[in-house]
Amino acid sequence: MNLARRKRRQHPEPIIALIDVVFFLLVFSMLVGRMDATAPFRVMPAISETGATMPGGGETVAIAQDGTLALNGREMDETALLSELATVLTRMPDRLIRINAHRGAELRLYLPLVAEIEGLGAKDIVLVVTPEGP
Amino acid sequence: MKLRQANSDNAPIPLVPMIDVLMIMLVFFMVTSTYLNLRMIPFTQSEAASPLAPATAQAGTSDTVLLRLDSDGTVRLHGAPVARGELVEMLRQRLATMPDLNVVLLPSGHARTQELVSLLDATTSAGVTRMRLVRLEPVR
Repeated sequence: MNLARRKRRQHPEPIIALIDVVFFLLVFSMLVGRMDATAPFRVMPAISETGATMPGGGETVAIAQDGTLALNGREMDETALLSELATVLTRMPDRLIRINAHRGAELRLYLPLVAEIEGLGAKDIVLVVTPEGP
Repeated sequence: MKLRQANSDNAPIPLVPMIDVLMIMLVFFMVTSTYLNLRMIPFTQSEAASPLAPATAQAGTSDTVLLRLDSDGTVRLHGAPVARGELVEMLRQRLATMPDLNVVLLPSGHARTQELVSLLDATTSAGVTRMRLVRLEPVR
């Protein structure tokens, strides 16, 4: 009796199934995620029960807990930030300005800045919040 | 010289590069996307007056409630601390008699964003629609 195992034929791996899974994950990521410029530091928005739906687009001003500022993902000082926003608002006066302040940031760190942005002619300034806990 | 093309009908399409491209796109979207459910509270609106009003605006009128937010998050009404539940109830009662009630919020500069947002939540859930956030200028 011959008990030696038969040599298995080399089957190609089922690549189509792998493509399906990766494609599914890709579509899921595109649907669930938002393509926002992330801040170069940690920003956790305040939790709110009454926040409204956030429209897309606009310029994002991020404020860290210690008051560090960033515009559209680039860290910069207040003068540079206001200068860039002034340029944007000159071209697009109706541009939405999103203030993404860390929930632990003191108001003195950015309320004067918001007033300055409003002084530049910004008509729509919103505070970014989240309905979810940490 | 043989010019006839080789028959390529049965050549398999290379799928591995396609997987590579899909994987790169997947990683790109996973890294650059934000998965937080973000919402917003308007600071200013095009069609409405600015909530960042001077400290004197609308103060002193009979249908105005001034709420102070201390640096430790305590909300004060007429100088006395008030709990969130009591505040919501009081605002609802005032709104029943004065539908155009104005609420002026005067936060301490040392109060934190979460404390301001929680106060805004309380006033909004009470049904207040006319709110102004007052910012005091430092004395120069």
